[in-house]
Amino acid sequence: MNTCETIRESIGSWLDGELSPSASEAVRLHLAACSDCSVARQQLEKLQLVVKDELVTQAASIDFMPFWRGVQQRINRKRAWHEDLFEWSRGFLTAPRIAWAVPALIVVLLALFSLDSYLPGRGVRDNFASVESIDAHGRSVALLREDQTKTTVIWLYQDQEGENETAEEASKSGPTF
Amino acid sequence: MELSDSELVKKSQAGETSAFQELVSRYHQKVFMVILGLLRNREDALDVAQETFFRAFRKINSFQGGSSFYTWIYRIAVNMSIDAQRRQKRNPLDFRESMDDVMEAQNQVAKDPFADVHDKELREKLTVAINDLTPDHKAVIVLRTIEGLSYKDIGEILGCSEGTVMSRLHYARKKLQDKLRAFL
Repeated sequence: MNTCETIRESIGSWLDGELSPSASEAVRLHLAACSDCSVARQQLEKLQLVVKDELVTQAASIDFMPFWRGVQQRINRKRAWHEDLFEWSRGFLTAPRIAWAVPALIVVLLALFSLDSYLPGRGVRDNFASVESIDAHGRSVALLREDQTKTTVIWLYQDQEGENETAEEASKSGPTF
Repeated sequence: MELSDSELVKKSQAGETSAFQELVSRYHQKVFMVILGLLRNREDALDVAQETFFRAFRKINSFQGGSSFYTWIYRIAVNMSIDAQRRQKRNPLDFRESMDDVMEAQNQVAKDPFADVHDKELREKLTVAINDLTPDHKAVIVLRTIEGLSYKDIGEILGCSEGTVMSRLHYARKKLQDKLRAFL
């Protein structure tokens, strides 16, 4: 059985002629029997009339010839290159395309990085860990890299032995002085 | 004998500007109404309507005839209006002024000097209520009300299903009814 609630949801589509014959008949019969829903139908009809009336009144005051001249001016006007570029990009850079482009770009970048090992000169890497260190004024940085597990360890340390050595050297050199 | 839209489109594609002019004369008011319904600003609507036809002229060769000309031109109009709406939102002060312009223009075109206060108030409330709708809801209301387009055509123009059109129309009408209940 159709309640007023479900009928009112269908009144708009019924007025638009978009319901199936059986659904349409159900709405018609209900409206004939229910005064509340008939009021809702009248309100909806009035709403549509008011909206249409407002827009039609506005549109009726638009003369064709001035309107066409405006279109013609645009057709005849030579556009600057950046306007053409902007128009092209508006058509090309649509939201769905951008939404697809971002993950696609990520996939391409990942693919490029994974191809890295196949590039000439980079193809074969040994899997031994390598250690590099930089020593400056007693402070050292050591890098330990291991290709197979892609592990990098950065080790910062202060070379206290070096300082002591100099001190020792200084003390040793003392007596000779 | 009056040429059909598709014949005029073919002539336009062959470079006959007069054929395109005929298409513009057939649809300029309806396209203007759709855009005005979405933008609520007469000057902006005129500008966007002219730009819509200009864009259609430039892209007429890409129109394959898979859909009708009016569906195609309305699609361009709706897309351009939504773009313009985004710009309006970025400039709310101009938007407020534009609403006042619309109201003033409506008062000027009113023929009956005794046009009742109730009607005037209804129009004012209607303008505000339509402005409060989302762009999607506005578009379905305007396309259905002005042209009486089928849900299928509206779905084609907006790129959504008939079910979505039905649902959007229902909610848009409900919102308008709720806001204008006292005047209907």
